[in-house]
Amino acid sequence: MGRRVFITGLGLIAPHGEDPESVFDRIYQGDSAVRMVRSGTVDFGSDLPLATADFTPKDRIPKTQQLFMARASQMAVVAAEGALQSSGLFGVGQEGPEDGEIGVYMGCGLGGAEILQEGYRTYFVRQSRRGRPSTVPMIMASGPASHISMRFGLHGPTHTYSIACASSTVAIGEAFRAIRDGYLDTALSGGAEAMLNDGSIAAWERLGVLASSHTDGPEASSRPFDLERTGFVLGEGAALLVLEAESALQERAVDPIAEIIGYGVSSDAFSLTEPHAAGQEAAMRSAITDADIEREEVQYVNAHATGTPSGDPIEIEAIKSIFEDHASNLAVSSTKSVHGHLVGASGALETAITAIALQKGRIPPTANLTHPDPCCDLDCVPEYGREAPELTVAISNSFAFGGSNATLVLRKV
Amino acid sequence: MRAYPYLAEVLADKYDVDEDKIRPEATLADLGLDSLMVVEFLFDVEDEFDIEVPDDRAEFETLDEAATLIDELIEAKGD
Repeated sequence: MGRRVFITGLGLIAPHGEDPESVFDRIYQGDSAVRMVRSGTVDFGSDLPLATADFTPKDRIPKTQQLFMARASQMAVVAAEGALQSSGLFGVGQEGPEDGEIGVYMGCGLGGAEILQEGYRTYFVRQSRRGRPSTVPMIMASGPASHISMRFGLHGPTHTYSIACASSTVAIGEAFRAIRDGYLDTALSGGAEAMLNDGSIAAWERLGVLASSHTDGPEASSRPFDLERTGFVLGEGAALLVLEAESALQERAVDPIAEIIGYGVSSDAFSLTEPHAAGQEAAMRSAITDADIEREEVQYVNAHATGTPSGDPIEIEAIKSIFEDHASNLAVSSTKSVHGHLVGASGALETAITAIALQKGRIPPTANLTHPDPCCDLDCVPEYGREAPELTVAISNSFAFGGSNATLVLRKV
Repeated sequence: MRAYPYLAEVLADKYDVDEDKIRPEATLADLGLDSLMVVEFLFDVEDEFDIEVPDDRAEFETLDEAATLIDELIEAKGD
């Protein structure tokens, strides 16, 4: 057995806002952050439901630093500051933690998507080879992790996992392992994603996986497990967790939010875009084994379920396959119904939500689940969150394009 | 000195340099610009005046030297 690992701080830039408690409360109420947004120009654009984050770096990041940071990095450093402050490692106005041996483990899918778009615009539209000199360091998927390390003077490993929708779940899992196995005492871990620029959205639209607006309005367009689901709603944001070894905690008076007890990964080796139940099951099984618990101890699953017609039933099939008779006892919800799919940041936001759910003893709902798909015949917590004071163990799933699957197991403290 | 006022303005507005520190004899390093910021700063200037600073001439030290170089390039362009 390795060392115990606790979540001691959270920082968010989410479609629902920044304060983790109030973000959770809105998600628990089934309050959607999805809005109709115009992407592109008047004559060459598209109106679609998106979950944007109300974020500006103004007055939060020095101007000269902002200039060299893509939006994903800007959101990441502000969320990281929130996480460090809430953990008590880093006070307001301080330079940074005294002990610089802190690791940064981040997930990010596309990096500086809007900067890449601007570079192509210069080349193809302005027909110029003279784009911004800082384009390359700004588009790197590793930008958010690097900027966090530089801004707070963190000298531990600074790693980025770019694994599509599983990016930040893997990042947190790898940070968890590094701490559990004694390589590190403390890590900032999570994800950042900001690709709601016109070119990226147009590419997503062509893949045919995005939700169209529902007759009840854009707020109802993300509807995992529902018969009327049409796809997922893209979101943006950053979610950062401070992870600490039990030994590090003993030196400070801090109440952990939750404990991470297991992590499992697998690969489908099957399809670039189609999900695969066997691979998903393998990730969940591996995580539960890693946590050294019985599967019957799991009470809540924060599902990957994005709201695509093909994806949701596969996850339900995988859950049934691993939990067997216990599956019908589980609460399975998809909070993407209200915050959309943050791709590389999704797993981190959902891990944060799962941690707060355990802390508060409250299971968030799958909003907009008014006509359950018979193929999704588990307790998917339709529409209304529920009090669950006995909630002790939960898992959070992230399944990526490319067939990478990751599951984290969390326990109430 | 066509370029100097523009250089000073960009340094103050975009790079947040304290206006009191912006003097002809100041180097860009004195003003807190690292190598990437210097390249980006030159890019701004090239864009503004529609010139290109050849690599072998981008070795100025002070703001005054930079402004002189930019002025020469503007003049050579024949505007």
